[in-house]
Amino acid sequence: MLLELEGVRGGYGHQEIVKGVSCAADHGDILCLVGPNGCGKTTLFRLLLGVLPTTGGSIRIGGKETKTLSPKALANLIAYIPQYHTPVFAYTVLDVVIMGRASHLSAFEAPKAVDRDAAFEALEKVNAAHLANQKYTALSGGQRQLILIARAICQSAQVFVMDEPAANLDYANHQLLMEVVADLAKRGYCVVMSTHSPEHPASIGTKVLLMRAGQVAAFGPPQEVITPEHLQAVYGIEMDVATVTDRYGVQRTICLPVKRPGETIS
Amino acid sequence: MPPLATEKESAAKIRRRYRTLLLVMLAVLAAAVLFSFWVGYYHLTPGEVIKAFLTRLGFAADGLDPNAITIFWNIRLPRILSALFIGASLSVAGATYQGMFRNPLVSPDILGVSSGASLGASLAILMGAGSLMVQGAAFLGGILAVALSYLISRKSPHSQTLSLVLTGSMIMALCNAGVTMIKYVADPNDVLQQITYWLMGSLTKADMEAFLWSVVPMLLGLSLIFLLRWRVNLLTMDEEEARSLGVNIRRYRVIFIVASTLLSAASVCLSGLIGWVGLMIPHMARALVGADYGRLIPASAMLGAGYLLLMDDLARSLLSLELPIGVVTSIMGAPFFVYLIIKRKEG
Repeated sequence: MLLELEGVRGGYGHQEIVKGVSCAADHGDILCLVGPNGCGKTTLFRLLLGVLPTTGGSIRIGGKETKTLSPKALANLIAYIPQYHTPVFAYTVLDVVIMGRASHLSAFEAPKAVDRDAAFEALEKVNAAHLANQKYTALSGGQRQLILIARAICQSAQVFVMDEPAANLDYANHQLLMEVVADLAKRGYCVVMSTHSPEHPASIGTKVLLMRAGQVAAFGPPQEVITPEHLQAVYGIEMDVATVTDRYGVQRTICLPVKRPGETIS
Repeated sequence: MPPLATEKESAAKIRRRYRTLLLVMLAVLAAAVLFSFWVGYYHLTPGEVIKAFLTRLGFAADGLDPNAITIFWNIRLPRILSALFIGASLSVAGATYQGMFRNPLVSPDILGVSSGASLGASLAILMGAGSLMVQGAAFLGGILAVALSYLISRKSPHSQTLSLVLTGSMIMALCNAGVTMIKYVADPNDVLQQITYWLMGSLTKADMEAFLWSVVPMLLGLSLIFLLRWRVNLLTMDEEEARSLGVNIRRYRVIFIVASTLLSAASVCLSGLIGWVGLMIPHMARALVGADYGRLIPASAMLGAGYLLLMDDLARSLLSLELPIGVVTSIMGAPFFVYLIIKRKEG
C-alpha cells in the first residue's frame, strides 16, 4: 500500500478533532473523503500534510513514517493541491508551476533548465502548455486549478491531496477537472480528495472514507459505502441513492436528500 | 510549431529580455553615478573623476585641481556610495517584506525599524553623544524594535503575519511616543534642532566613516536575500501551501526578517528617515521584470540605487540651499501611491 493511516488522531491544542482514523490507498486509487461540515476532513488533510502534528496513530507513505520526515522529504512524497486561489502578485503560470521544484532545490539554488523542463512537462500532462507564459492571476478558476495540479506533478510526489477541488467550479470546469483527476489515477498517482457531495466518489472514486465526528463511519469501495443507511447515519437526514442511465447509456449514481411530505426536519 | 516548443521559446525570450534589461540598468546606473559627481557647486567632469580616483592608487595628479581631489574623496564619493546602498537596501527590504506579508503596500518600516531607530538616535542626541554614537544607537534601536515586535508576535494565537503587523504597529506607536517625549524635554535651541534635523532624512551626514560602518550590515543583508531570493516566492503562498511545497516557512521568515532589518536599520542610521523608496521601487521593478523574486530582487536593488542617487542629486541642486532628501522622496512618493490606489487592477 502506498498510503496507510492507522488510528490517526490529532487536532488543535487540546481539542482532538480527528479521533482514530484508519484507511489505506494505493497507486491509481482515488480516495474520496465524505462527511458533513466539521467532521474533520480538513484536519485530517492537515495531519496528512504534516501541517499539524499527529497526537496518535501513524501515517505511512511508501512505508515511511511521515512524522520522522523533514518538510522537504515529505514534499517529495505528498503534494497539496489547494482550491484555486489568487496570489497577490501577478506570477506567470511558469513561475507558479516551477515553485513545485522547491523540495528538489537546496536553499541557495534557483530553478535551472532541468526544473523548467519538468514544469513544461507537467503543464503538458494537464494539457495546459499553451498557458505557460500567461499571467496566472488572469486565468479562470478551472484553469488555475489545472495549473496547481501541474505544480503538484512537477513536485514529483506520489500522493496528491485535493481539498474540495469541485467547490466554486461550474459544470464544464468541474467535468474537466474530474477527467484530469481520473487521468492522474491512471498514471499511477494516488489522489486523496475531500468533497461535499457523495455523488463524486460514486462516479470517480475507487475508495470512499465516510467520516462522522472525527471517526470513520464507513470505508471501502463506493458501491458499499454510498448507501442510504450510511448517508443517513452521517448526515442525520434521510437520503436516497438512485441509479440513473444517462443519454449515452452510462449508469450514474445520484444522492438525494428526502423528507416525508409535510414533515419538518427537527 | 507545437504549443510546447512555442511556449518554451517565448519563455527563453523573456529570460533573455531580463538579462538585457539588467545590463541596460547597469549602464544607466553608471551614467547616473558620473552625472552625480558632476552635480553640485563644483562640477567634477568624468575625466577629473577618473584622475582623482587614480591619485589614491599612486598616480600623479597632473594638472588636477587639488580641490577636485578633496571633493571627490571626502564629499561626493561617500555621498554617492551612501545613496546607492541606501536605495538598494530600502528597495530590497521593501520587496522582501511585501512578499513575506503578501501585501504590495507594505514598506520596510512595518515592524517598527524606523521608529526604533528614531528613538535610539533621539535618545543618543539628548545625551549629547557624537555622530557615530548616534548612528550606533539608531542601528541598535531599529534592531531592538523589530526583535520586540517579533518576540511579542510569537505569543499571539493569530496567524504569524497578522500578529507581526499588529505588534509592529504597537511598537511603532510606542517608539513614536518616546521620540515625542524626548523632543518635548529637549532644549529647543540646540538639542531639539538636532533631533528634528536627524529625523528629516538627509545624506549630508554620510561621510566615509559613517558609510563604512553601515555598509557592513547592508552587504550582509543584501547578500543573504540575494542568495535566497527565489525562496521569497514560496512565502507569498499560503502557509499551508508553502509547507507542503517542502519549505520550513517559519525559519525562512526569521531569516528574511533579520536580513531586511539589517538593511533598513543600517540605512536609517546613515541617513535618517527616507520614506517611500521601499514601497515604490519594488512596484516599478515588478512592472519591468515580473513578479518572480528571482528577478525582482536584483532589479529592485539596481532601480532603488539609481532612484535614490537621482533624488539626492535633486535634493542638493534644486534650490540654492539643500533640501532634506526625505522630503524629496515623499513629494515624489505620495502621488505614486495615489496612482497605485486608483489604477485598475492589472489582470
